[in-house]
Amino acid sequence: MNTSATAERPPQVSAPRRRPRGLDSRQRWTRIGMQAPSLVILLVVLAFPLVYSLSLSFQSYSPVDPEANGQWIGLGNYARMFQDTQFGQAILVTIAYVVLAVALETVIGTAIGVWLSRLMRTRRLVTSFLLLPMIATPLVVGLMFSFGLNAQFGYMTDALQALGLVGEAGVLDSPAGAFAALVAMDVWEWTPFIALMVLAGLSAAPQAQIQAAQIDGCNTAQLYWHVMLPMIRPVIGVAILFRATEAIRQFDQVYILTGGGPGSATTVNDIFQYRVSFTAFDMSYGAALGIATFLVVAVLAWILFRFLGRKGAQ
Amino acid sequence: MFRFAQTAPMSPPARRPRRLLLVTTATAASLVLAGCGAGGGGGDVDPEDANGWSQEFAGTELNVLAEATLNSEILAELAPEFTRMTGIEVAIETAPFAQLVQSVTLDFSTSQGDFDVVSIPYDYLGAYAGSDYLEEITPLIEANADKVGPEFNQEDILPGLWDTAAVWNGKYYGMPSNSAVTMMIYRADLFENETEKAAFAAQYGYELAPATTWQQYSDIAEFFTRDAGEQLAGETLTEPVYGVTIAGKRHEAAVFEWINYANSFGGGVVSPEGELVVDSEGSVESLEYMNSLGEFAPPGYTSATWDEVTAQLQQGIAAQAISWGDTAGAMENPDQSAVVGKMGYGDVPVSAEGDDPHALHGAWTYTISKEATDVNAAYLFVAWALSAPVQKAIGEKGGVPATRSAFEDADLIATLPSWPQQLTSLENALARPRNAEWPQMLEQLALQVSNALVGESTPEAALGKAQGDITGILGDKLPLKAF
Repeated sequence: MNTSATAERPPQVSAPRRRPRGLDSRQRWTRIGMQAPSLVILLVVLAFPLVYSLSLSFQSYSPVDPEANGQWIGLGNYARMFQDTQFGQAILVTIAYVVLAVALETVIGTAIGVWLSRLMRTRRLVTSFLLLPMIATPLVVGLMFSFGLNAQFGYMTDALQALGLVGEAGVLDSPAGAFAALVAMDVWEWTPFIALMVLAGLSAAPQAQIQAAQIDGCNTAQLYWHVMLPMIRPVIGVAILFRATEAIRQFDQVYILTGGGPGSATTVNDIFQYRVSFTAFDMSYGAALGIATFLVVAVLAWILFRFLGRKGAQ
Repeated sequence: MFRFAQTAPMSPPARRPRRLLLVTTATAASLVLAGCGAGGGGGDVDPEDANGWSQEFAGTELNVLAEATLNSEILAELAPEFTRMTGIEVAIETAPFAQLVQSVTLDFSTSQGDFDVVSIPYDYLGAYAGSDYLEEITPLIEANADKVGPEFNQEDILPGLWDTAAVWNGKYYGMPSNSAVTMMIYRADLFENETEKAAFAAQYGYELAPATTWQQYSDIAEFFTRDAGEQLAGETLTEPVYGVTIAGKRHEAAVFEWINYANSFGGGVVSPEGELVVDSEGSVESLEYMNSLGEFAPPGYTSATWDEVTAQLQQGIAAQAISWGDTAGAMENPDQSAVVGKMGYGDVPVSAEGDDPHALHGAWTYTISKEATDVNAAYLFVAWALSAPVQKAIGEKGGVPATRSAFEDADLIATLPSWPQQLTSLENALARPRNAEWPQMLEQLALQVSNALVGESTPEAALGKAQGDITGILGDKLPLKAF
């Protein structure tokens, strides 16, 4: 290699050295090739249904109605959504369900997480037990509660009656009771998730601040309330985000336990959409409802991530 | 009185007279074809096994989809016999109601042709036949008159059942695959108890007997509702007993139960002229009546469907119910029931003495897809499923046949106490609407019947809301021309 020839050239400061074009192209194609399978899967399972649903939402289509054969109706389905009182009711039920269930799970889960963090010998054992409700599939949980809350033979009904909390007709007989049963079912299944997230957050909390607070004379309650819990707020935020997006999509357990009734007391958004799309086969209106739900969840997630990002930066 | 669907008697499609010459020719042709088939990849079939059935379609493979019921299980058990006779291979797939309807709709609407023969609930007839997904069966009956075995006689299919199950816009689109029908099911042993009879007569001023009117039904419900510790038929109860059991969940079960009441209160869903009568006086009165029975029903009936009704009757904690005749087998099954031999079966009561009773059809229909591999082979399968030996076997194994001969079979009558009543109910039953919008209408009715039963709204307000919402669904299609 001729080093003296290159040393005489003026140094090129501003222009970066360009790599040979062939290598660049090869690398690019290699990267694309390596990612292609997952990109194709994403396109098939995410992008295509979304675009198809969006297109369907501007049409009038039902596979069982020859007059609804896919004609373009513009924003007709979206306009109908705003006038649909049953959809409005389903949205209210969903909001109430998500807010109540996730709030209860957060409060109880955080308390359990703190308690777990103070356990020394039995923490692993207790944590293993806590995992059990989360392992069960939603369908099985729904069936468990359905049997347990049976008005005549359910052991849960017996227990609640013994405590004087419900009457002879059981929990599912009244709109308020059925709604409370759904919230209780979700809290039973998913509180451990929040507890475990809190436990993980507390275990990873930086010790320096904790020790400093202890030296400053914080008692245990003050330590948790003013130091440790604020430190794990992002973790709790992520847990709430996960739970809220899951709870918004609640379907299986409601379908099994109450079928959306009595009346429309437990008709959450997904049950309503299922009925529109797959019982009444009003596919295009169902697609419009799906798109609207997608947008709402996406906006909620975006707000929460921005909130978390700000907290993280602080 | 309003009827729920156009079930005007129609003459079943005429069957060509069987001619010996045709049979001989067909048999000869099938022998030749079967021979050709053996060499050309067709089904392996012995002409001596034909038993009068054509072997022309040997080697054809049929996919059948049917509801996950005993009828379908029995058919799957017997299908090898059909294959042996005809050489047509049959794969029977079963699915629960909701999944079946979704699979069928997807298959039909995408023209996939995954299923050749589909057993559909008859209230989807308008949806599927109206969308031109189904083969009309009359031309197939005529074209294959000489290809079906002598054990199939279309005249044997119960005419009212066939009309309900298959007639849409004046054309036949299938044949009934089962004959579910509602009836009154009651604890005959309690009704025959002398102590109870005397007490009832003293309290109500007339003799205790299976109810023929709704007033009697209600009186009996009140009379037999007892707390634990009280006496019933000479025994001290350890658990409460209820005079009636009701399916009251937000579910089609509650709507169908209400239709049984509405049938005789002069209400219903659609008038014979095609007008909506959901909020008519008779409809409201019938829902008020249904609501009033709740007082004598087991607690939690507003979250009960047919499953709970059947279980409560089997456990002996309810004295009477309006339910499906095909649950009678469960009542008489000693492995499942505490009331074997204690049950009686009667007509659905009426509003006033002298009115004609009307049950409700719950039939399913064998239909042939327009995309079927071979519509003639598919028709042969349907004809075989309705042939006398298959229908009798269905009855013997606990299913519900669709032919008169099976319901009049002496062997079956001897072992199935509900059999005569099932036949009577089938002959007086009405159909629910079958228009393409019925699934949406059913959703609205399920919601509002549930609202009324749990006290969220009065029956009048609930049915008024249902009427308004269904009017919105039907729009300018009212009055309905076909339903």
